[in-house]
Amino acid sequence: MFDQLFDGALLESVFRALIPILLAAIGGLVCERAGVFQISLEGMMLVGAFAAVAGSYLGQSALLGVTIAMAVTALFSLILGYGAVTRRGDPIVLGVAVNLLALGLTSFLLPQLFGVRGVFQHPRIDGLDRLAIPFLSDLPLIGQALFNLTIPGYLSLLAIPLIWLFLFRTPIGLRLRGVGERPASAETLGVSSTQYKYAAVVFSGLACGLAGAQLALGNVVQFAENMSSGRGWIAVVAVMLGRAHPAGVLGASALFGFAEGLGFRLQGNGLPVQITEALPYVVTLIALALARKRFQRILELTAA
Amino acid sequence: MMSQSSFDRLSVALSIVAALLIGAAVIALSGTNPLLAYGEMVEGALTGSGLRNTTARMIPIVGMGLALSIPFRAGVINLGGEGQMVLGGLAGTLCAIYLPGPPALVMAASIVAGAVAGAFWAFLAAAGQIWLKLPILISSLLLAYPARAITSYLVRFPFADPTVTSSSTVPVPDANRIPKLPLFGGVSASLVLLAFFLVAIAIFNQRTVAGYETRMTGLNSRFSRYGGVGVDRQVVWVMLASGAIAGVIGTHLVVGETYRFLDGDLVASGFAWTGLLVTLLASHRPLPLLAAGAFFSALQIGGLAMQRNVNVPWQIALVVQAVVIVVLAGRFVLSRRQRAQPEEIPMAEGELTVTGEV
Repeated sequence: MFDQLFDGALLESVFRALIPILLAAIGGLVCERAGVFQISLEGMMLVGAFAAVAGSYLGQSALLGVTIAMAVTALFSLILGYGAVTRRGDPIVLGVAVNLLALGLTSFLLPQLFGVRGVFQHPRIDGLDRLAIPFLSDLPLIGQALFNLTIPGYLSLLAIPLIWLFLFRTPIGLRLRGVGERPASAETLGVSSTQYKYAAVVFSGLACGLAGAQLALGNVVQFAENMSSGRGWIAVVAVMLGRAHPAGVLGASALFGFAEGLGFRLQGNGLPVQITEALPYVVTLIALALARKRFQRILELTAA
Repeated sequence: MMSQSSFDRLSVALSIVAALLIGAAVIALSGTNPLLAYGEMVEGALTGSGLRNTTARMIPIVGMGLALSIPFRAGVINLGGEGQMVLGGLAGTLCAIYLPGPPALVMAASIVAGAVAGAFWAFLAAAGQIWLKLPILISSLLLAYPARAITSYLVRFPFADPTVTSSSTVPVPDANRIPKLPLFGGVSASLVLLAFFLVAIAIFNQRTVAGYETRMTGLNSRFSRYGGVGVDRQVVWVMLASGAIAGVIGTHLVVGETYRFLDGDLVASGFAWTGLLVTLLASHRPLPLLAAGAFFSALQIGGLAMQRNVNVPWQIALVVQAVVIVVLAGRFVLSRRQRAQPEEIPMAEGELTVTGEV
């Protein structure tokens, strides 16, 4: 059974699972660097998925769907931005409430706008095409997984080195990290922490919009109630596990993507769906347990 | 951090008004007269069978609120109420179905089994924080997914009722079902359990040393530890108590309400999350929690009536609920910045004033 487990098709499903998580985690990473505790990735991803499907359905264009998803999610992220940055509300309570707001709003709008409950599928929803890169996509094993992706898929992989460059090699990136690590010093040097924190939150909104679009127009072509189903939380964990470093976050996201891809494959080999679907969460918990003592910040934040 | 969430009454009232207005705007934008929709809601929640349904829904909503209020009050954020509730619910249901014996004993045993299963799952999260330094916020939440998977697997395969197409257990035998009280035409006797939890928690919070100590930890865990409180042990028992109540509520939802454990049924209504919003709204105090739970229950039951009568999806209730907490937590209603920044110490005129982050 296991000799047929690891092949190009497995790698493909790993990337399918990985990309939405990675996109959301990139947003979370930038927030974490700017000192914004961001746990509303789950809700923002859901809003992104809904807006993507709505935009694609109304405009009959997948790219329009992606654009609308990013715009709507960026707007939605301002709720957290205003509450947590300007008003200095409790980021955990706000994050949880924003997630529930996203769930309520999308499940309300689904029947209200499209007249269906649960799942919305329609031939007018234009899905994202996969763009094969000539020659590279023909490579054995990795060709289809890495070089035959949707636009959000390529963006997610390109974002990793770009974010690294931005954070560690540009003055703006340095200031952003300064705002997160030493807000008082940053202010003393004339860096407005509010501006940087807002920018980080809106960036996470754009990233989650893209993540939601990939989920609803790339991985499948439909919107289902609560379709983010914990992926945003896994992205939150990926940020912690990867210590908010682009390479670390990529590694952590890859681990979960691998668990999900493997679970999907094992399902094909006869394991019950109920068990394989829990695999990414169990792997996440084990990884967290092995990575102990990396969570001082959140422990301090939650322990008053 | 949770210490600042004790919202004052005016803020709570204003945020409810704001949320209802935002809800009205959403209804209006989606093409229905909001006054008509809200009218249907009030009528549906409080008249006829609505009053019974609202009271019945208070059991899981207030119950989960109470369950989560215990750790929250001690500054422990249990986001895994759902997992604790479903596992407890399945354990309780299986006892009620398969345990032989006099019905009263079987019922008691199934409630205890629900409590034990829920407490066990919550304990895993507590143990993770203490020994592996995993924040409970994350571990409790992630543990909810395997919990759902386990129950889903068990009711689909080993304990499935082969005579029905839906994935569910066989029904709980008539005799072992939690009876109905003659109240508004039949509310589950689990209401008595709920009252017991409420009073017990109120007394514990107000009248016991341990209740004082948990509050102290919630306000300042370092101070509490310095004062000699075993904070780790406290984390364990607040999670055990929370999981136990969640497990009992899960048991009630089947043995006192639907009589079959249907896969996905317990999580579909989102009671654990509504309970979370309720305890936040009530600042984790039992009596306000009862009021907040009654309000959210009425909102949901009224929402269902509204959906039937004017075809506005009931989920607007979920929107209003979440907006109340967003508005409150974001301090959108009253300017509380003075209180939020105690480092701004007023000084005599002429002195140098120091403000900003410390």
